[in-house]
Amino acid sequence: MARGMVKKTFLTPLGKDNPVFVQILGICSTLAVTNKLANTMVMVLGVMFTTALSSWTISLFRKQIPSRIRMMVETLVIATYVIIVDIILKAYNPEIWKQLGPYVGLIITNCIVMGRVEAFALQNKPTLSLIDGLASGMGYGYVLLIIAFVRELLGSGTIWGYQVLGSWWTKWAIMVMPPGGFFMLAILIWVVHEGVMKEGKNG
Amino acid sequence: MVVTLIVSVAIITAIATLLALLLVIADATVGNYGDVSITINNERELIVPGGQPLLSLLVSEGIFIPSACGGRGSCGLCKVQVVEGGGAYLPTELPWMSPEEIANQMRLSCQFKVKNPIKIIIPEELFLVKEFTTQVEKIVDLTHDIKEVTLKLIDPPIIEPKAGQFVQFQVPEYALSDESVYRAYSMASSPSNQNHVELQIRLVPHGICTTYVHEHLKVGETIMINGPYGEFYLRDNDRDLIFIAGGSGMAPIKAILLDMAERGDKRRATYFFGARTRKDLFLLDEMKELEGRLENFTFIPALSEPAAEDKWEGEVGLITEVVRRRATNGQNSEAYLCGSPGMIDACIAVLHDIGVAEDAVYYDKF
Amino acid sequence: MGNFLFPVAVFFAAIFTDNILLTNYLGMCSFLAVSKELETSAGLGIAVTFVLAVTTPLNWAVYYLVLVPFQLEYLRFIVFIIIIAAFVQLIEMVIERYSENLYFSLGIFLPLITVNCAILGASLFMVIREYSFITSFFFGLGSGIGWFIAIMAMAGIRNKLRGAKIPIGLEGAGIALIIAGFMAMAFMGFSGMIQIT
Repeated sequence: MARGMVKKTFLTPLGKDNPVFVQILGICSTLAVTNKLANTMVMVLGVMFTTALSSWTISLFRKQIPSRIRMMVETLVIATYVIIVDIILKAYNPEIWKQLGPYVGLIITNCIVMGRVEAFALQNKPTLSLIDGLASGMGYGYVLLIIAFVRELLGSGTIWGYQVLGSWWTKWAIMVMPPGGFFMLAILIWVVHEGVMKEGKNG
Repeated sequence: MVVTLIVSVAIITAIATLLALLLVIADATVGNYGDVSITINNERELIVPGGQPLLSLLVSEGIFIPSACGGRGSCGLCKVQVVEGGGAYLPTELPWMSPEEIANQMRLSCQFKVKNPIKIIIPEELFLVKEFTTQVEKIVDLTHDIKEVTLKLIDPPIIEPKAGQFVQFQVPEYALSDESVYRAYSMASSPSNQNHVELQIRLVPHGICTTYVHEHLKVGETIMINGPYGEFYLRDNDRDLIFIAGGSGMAPIKAILLDMAERGDKRRATYFFGARTRKDLFLLDEMKELEGRLENFTFIPALSEPAAEDKWEGEVGLITEVVRRRATNGQNSEAYLCGSPGMIDACIAVLHDIGVAEDAVYYDKF
Repeated sequence: MGNFLFPVAVFFAAIFTDNILLTNYLGMCSFLAVSKELETSAGLGIAVTFVLAVTTPLNWAVYYLVLVPFQLEYLRFIVFIIIIAAFVQLIEMVIERYSENLYFSLGIFLPLITVNCAILGASLFMVIREYSFITSFFFGLGSGIGWFIAIMAMAGIRNKLRGAKIPIGLEGAGIALIIAGFMAMAFMGFSGMIQIT
């Protein structure tokens, strides 16, 4: 395997092929938890874990899986890894597990996981698929972390639960409520499309 | 622990089996539409199991409709004319259909499911697309990085292409690629040579197919190809012809010229062939011979960076400069271009400048 | 609140105060992709409502009658998803066979929603909130109707926006998200009307 290939596989999902900006994928299951940075971090790690390992597993068996039941097998593999995430989280951090509620389980339906498996893992070798899954998870994760950072800072005046802005700060309640998530993501997409993507299109 | 494991596996299996059973029963009863007939071009009749998309039914009968997305309804390529028994359009088809296509009863064959007898019209060319088992008959070095591969057709033994079309070459699994892949190559052989297909394959560093051909392919080996495909063939009219090619872009032009020679075509034709140095030029003798056989044909090879030892006396410069110098009046010309995208784009601009109409430029980028 | 009224309260809460799309962000992918066309949106909305109303109580039954007695609650993700997938496929086959009209308006969208997070999400909420069988049905139905209302409103607004001048960077998903944000704010106005815990 050429080293350039590995590097490229790793870098594309972080930049010009970022799943959230370019494909607007997989925001459903995670946007809801972006009102707190810590919760978002846990979700992002969960998604990275699931995407990377499901891609790896499917890639390993890609020649054995009959194409008719492909989707079914993929879903089952993904669900298995999500169950593992759920169990680990419940054991080590029941507090956050409780706050996240059904959203951990919803990683199964996150389009990024299935999307990477379908688009990449079915055509590529296991190691490369693992890297692609990991990078896609990260590309997706940092966007959500930015959103969570702003929402928590403006909405609660805290970062990672620690008070940063003093009592002079009027909390923007809307930020921690559902509309805040929609607005933040829209603004972020706007900024990225106006700035970064435009250069890419002309070049 | 062990009991838990067994119980959980048993429960999952039981639920999955139950659901699978339910689906199988439903498939056999509710989803069973019996056999239906598909009449093609009013001549052939196929009897197929109903309820499946037209695209996959045709593929299983050996008729290949072009499709890029593999039947997910997202490329809009697999259109087929259904003249009888089509029924209403599905919402998933409509985004791909223009009003004319709807008037012509075109359907998206990957979405359209056959549930009752239908009649369809398929362009004759698509029947000609077949999968061929071939045997490597000859491998010749044309230059330091281009090989000419001659394939003898075994089953079916005859191909009926138009000069200039291409085939897809199936590269088997080997060290660089752990699954077989397809690559498209233009046929360099004359269409009258129906039992053989000649390909010119240039080595691209790390290219899956070219590396295979250059380093692993042996005479006598069995290779699968399918085709012929493509819109790059000579249009029938009396306009003057400008051919421009570089590298292995020679292949389709050579096929077109051979075909013209066999038909005794008297159209005025000029062939510009660009290369870097003398060692990148090939088939000069064949071209000289074609100049003899074709009344109004001129071959103009050009080198962009001739080396001192080449002792080159022909045209020098980028192919675009040479075309601009030698072909001045293009109003009554049509052009056929085959080469790298960069070369083609540059040449299209030059052709436009010398007056060749936009719709008279045909090209094959690779 | 009486036991009898609880399912009704849950039903209305799922539509307004606790809208599955606008407060829980579930079903966003198909929401953003499909809401460009009113007709398609209606088809998808009805399909989601129907599947939600059936799979939520169905999953309730499997969860409480099979998984809980065997202490296999942690397997619910896998079980729920295969039940949803199988059910959707089954319904598609039946509809395709018996009603062409229904297939065109509804059936064709069914494969698209197997992986819709709203469907699985409702089943998972049902477990966490410990709803009864009846309540699960009303919760599923209400969530579906809420989703339907949200996507129809969005498709209507996007229809009106055709030809409007929108900053290039906001075209498509960006503007849709902003609209969703305002809709979510509007729906916040319902909060306090129904209190369920």
